[in-house]
Amino acid sequence: MSKLIFVFLALIPLLCTSFSPDRPSDRRVLVLVDDFAVKSSHSLFFNSLKSRGFDLHFHLADDPKIALQRYGQYLYDALILFSPTIERFGGSVDAAAILDFVDSGHDLIVAADSNASDLIREIATECGVDFDEDPAAMVVDHSGYAVSATEGDHTLIASDDFIKSDVILGSKKIEAPVLFHGIGHSLNPTNSLVLKALSASPSAFSANPKSKLTSPPSLTGSSISLVSVIQARNNARILISGSLSMFSNRFFRSGVQKAGSPTKHEKSGNEQFFTELSKWVFHERGHLKAVNVQHHKVGEANEPSIYRINDNLEYSVEVYEWSGTSWEPYVADDVQVQFYMMSPYVLKTLSTDGKGRYFTSFKVPDVYGVFQFKVEYEKLGYTSLSLSKQIPVRPFRHNEYERFIPAAYPYYGAAFSMMAGFFIFTVVHLYHKCVTFLNPAFGGFLWAMF
Amino acid sequence: MARSSSKDAQDLFRALWSAYAATPTNLKIIDLYVIFAVFTAAIQVVYMALVGSFPFNSFLSGVLSCVGTAVLAVCLRIQVNKENKEFKDLAPERAFADFVLCNLVLHLVIMNFLG
Repeated sequence: MSKLIFVFLALIPLLCTSFSPDRPSDRRVLVLVDDFAVKSSHSLFFNSLKSRGFDLHFHLADDPKIALQRYGQYLYDALILFSPTIERFGGSVDAAAILDFVDSGHDLIVAADSNASDLIREIATECGVDFDEDPAAMVVDHSGYAVSATEGDHTLIASDDFIKSDVILGSKKIEAPVLFHGIGHSLNPTNSLVLKALSASPSAFSANPKSKLTSPPSLTGSSISLVSVIQARNNARILISGSLSMFSNRFFRSGVQKAGSPTKHEKSGNEQFFTELSKWVFHERGHLKAVNVQHHKVGEANEPSIYRINDNLEYSVEVYEWSGTSWEPYVADDVQVQFYMMSPYVLKTLSTDGKGRYFTSFKVPDVYGVFQFKVEYEKLGYTSLSLSKQIPVRPFRHNEYERFIPAAYPYYGAAFSMMAGFFIFTVVHLYHKCVTFLNPAFGGFLWAMF
Repeated sequence: MARSSSKDAQDLFRALWSAYAATPTNLKIIDLYVIFAVFTAAIQVVYMALVGSFPFNSFLSGVLSCVGTAVLAVCLRIQVNKENKEFKDLAPERAFADFVLCNLVLHLVIMNFLG
């Protein structure tokens, strides 16, 4: 017992340093399995996680002792559900607890399979993924199947229809098709956050392979998603796969030849696909942070508390991407800043120096009020950046205007000549009777004056 | 109906002019003053049409000072006209004092609005 306490005390500093904003990669991962056999049959996938520094905790999904949180603190940074048939989790874990876990910014990997339980389906549905309702259905593809000696029902599919995103799948192209054997799902069209990471070919459909097809299948073609990813608005990432065997050592090591293709790959794309995808899901890639927002007038260094209309200002921000071990400068040419008051008055693309610093300069619009500098950066696969900084803009002070405007001199002249005219008129009106106004010289004098 | 000719027009203007010649001198002076003000306003409008309305407050005050002057002068003319029975009880000195006061107020406002 005392040994256990000692181990726990030794773990405390480790627990405290996990998932901080400075190190966004997950550290502690809970793996729930139906059967401990999965631990060895899927060891290649787990070993790749362990070798990248993840601390995997294996539990049976119906283990009564499992808990995601204790005293309001989450015990894990990520959850892997490799238990497609579980009807009820042990302990305090249920679908709502898992969704709360995601809502608090933690990551989730769910692998379903044919005969997936209602519980797994419910979790997937909440994430915007609808599995085929027929429990016996599998994805069948009579033209895109993987050539093999034994299986003849074409449920082992070789798919190479990946999501086109370097940040999600890594910059190295996945050459070999990915083997898939399991249940298909469709994406909820109202959910804009869920993406197809691997989709089925246009000739695929979802049906029970053992019975005759009597009615048209509900899911067909490339609307079937085999593997989907979701990045929630809180930057929690979720991976949902319709097949548990995709992660297995057997599929990782298997060679693959797609039907109709002459090339036979020695090794399927599964290992690369899931290694890269798990890097993305566990925030080893595509996690951005923005720091050091600065703005000042051109030619000055200090940040003012207020700008005047038509001031020229410079704005800069630093953006870094987490590489799994350190923050690397993020380089892109599409980061934009808005100068915003109800609507963007200025929208400028920031230039970058390639070392993470983004900068631009622009002129404050000729409108005063309370503005915001806004950076709203949402790019496929990257965590979203949302910065806003409030800054008031004042009009000219009355002594900042030009005192005399040359273009207005005729108006000034008119106003003053009217005053002079008034004075002369007064004199003439009051005293004209004293003067011999019949004298033509006086009339000439009047004309000359006006 | 007889056709009009340029001779008719000449006759018309001559008749107008001879009728106007009978106007008392003080009213003629006021008329001259009104023409001066309206002419200055017209020059400013033409100038604004040429260079644009940028110091718009200056333009407004320049033109309005002319227009205001003309309006006040016309009011004075109505009040000091002996033929006008409506104001026969009003002394011309009183009318002139009103005119001066109104002009002072007008030019005070114009000065404030000019810059």
